[in-house]
Amino acid sequence: MTPLLVVWAGLPFLNDPSPGVLRSKRAARNLDCERYSAQTGSERYPGAIRPARARGDYVERDAVMCAERLMRPGLREARDEAILTELEPLSRDIVTKAVSLRTDLADRTWLVETYYPSGEVSSKISFATKNALMGQGLAVSDRVPVLGVGDVGVITRMDPDEAYPTACLRYAATGTLREGDALLAVVSRDARETILHGGLCVDGRWTWIP
Amino acid sequence: MSNPLVERRVAPHPEITIPQSLPVAPLRGFARRAALALLVLGLAGSGCVRVYQPMSGLHRPKVIDVRAANFQDLHLTIRCVPGGLLSRHEASMLCQKVTTLFQNQGALVHTIDNSGQVDADETPEEDPEAPPRTDLSLELRARKVHESHHPLSWIASAVTFTVLPGLSETTFAQDVEIRDGTGFLLVSDSMEGRIVRKVGAGPWFGNKILDLVARDKDEKLGIGSAYRELSRDLYQQLSQHTFNAKMQWEVLQEAELRAAPRAPE
Repeated sequence: MTPLLVVWAGLPFLNDPSPGVLRSKRAARNLDCERYSAQTGSERYPGAIRPARARGDYVERDAVMCAERLMRPGLREARDEAILTELEPLSRDIVTKAVSLRTDLADRTWLVETYYPSGEVSSKISFATKNALMGQGLAVSDRVPVLGVGDVGVITRMDPDEAYPTACLRYAATGTLREGDALLAVVSRDARETILHGGLCVDGRWTWIP
Repeated sequence: MSNPLVERRVAPHPEITIPQSLPVAPLRGFARRAALALLVLGLAGSGCVRVYQPMSGLHRPKVIDVRAANFQDLHLTIRCVPGGLLSRHEASMLCQKVTTLFQNQGALVHTIDNSGQVDADETPEEDPEAPPRTDLSLELRARKVHESHHPLSWIASAVTFTVLPGLSETTFAQDVEIRDGTGFLLVSDSMEGRIVRKVGAGPWFGNKILDLVARDKDEKLGIGSAYRELSRDLYQQLSQHTFNAKMQWEVLQEAELRAAPRAPE
């Protein structure tokens, strides 16, 4: 009886995702976990969690299910990690707001421009945003509006409040953004934030997406 | 002829209790040792190792440095709502600590207690009755998501004289809402974590030995480390959320400013 009890009691101890003898704090912090009741857990993870018996279980059962993060901590910059972890909901949120704000732009061709310090992360943000736009059934182009060197030199020295509207104005003036286009800009305004902001440039007029 | 009474009194032999004391001494020693062992076992058995595990949100990557002036001159109103895991006193304590956290980062903080009274760190000059200016308001709630005591682990712990741990755990959620002065919702999040209590001589001694011998400073599971880490995570996430809300609020203000001239058109 005693060995059986030891095994029974040892099982949660061995499987527990919390830090302890078998798992370091660092390893535990690399897990994203969620708690489920036996019923919900068996529906979500059939086979991994046994459903509750028809007449109920002798003890209350529940499960903590954890998923290991893709990248080990410290491999990417914290800001990049924060943005990329939440990229799908962040880009979807910006797109949903933009589309709801300007329903009149449904027939336009949508372009995406990302203002983020890292080129690699920028391309991922652009891709996710285009994907979200296509999810809304909109026409999306891979074309990127380009500004002249002189424009870039002036605009990059401006305050963000002025820089984006000016860039938008120049896009329209130089014809890089055409009449049937709508530009959705995804912007990181401060190095300390872990969210992204959206701005719309349509016919030379800039609008922040609140 | 000797007096037998005197002789009896003088003669030490019948009074000496050596023959009786010989078996008593080991018995006393055994009892002492057993009592000591029980005491140590009892103390160790009552030894509790508390472990904190962030589950979602609390260990999200953060960029902000809480020692920097991230909220210079921002008027922040903080409200800690009692209920769930927070008693009135605990809500008040939490508000005090969060107030200090944001004051250290340059914010002008007002707290609202449960009666709706405002405790401001600056006195309104024009009208003392007027509510303080609020750029952002932060509302905090804490609730218990789940609690379990794993009865089998306690039985096994008793059977093994607490070599195996008796396990109890609480899963909690910290709800955060940040709005601007008009009540527009900027950030809403629910961060979850769990505190696991491992009670018994086994886990207590085991962890002590591992802390002393094998674990790095950051990996130690010593007394108070669970709550220290939880506080650190919570304060960093609160700062990050509030900074994100501040940036969102600034964008909102710019959007309103740019939209305003269009009204007459």
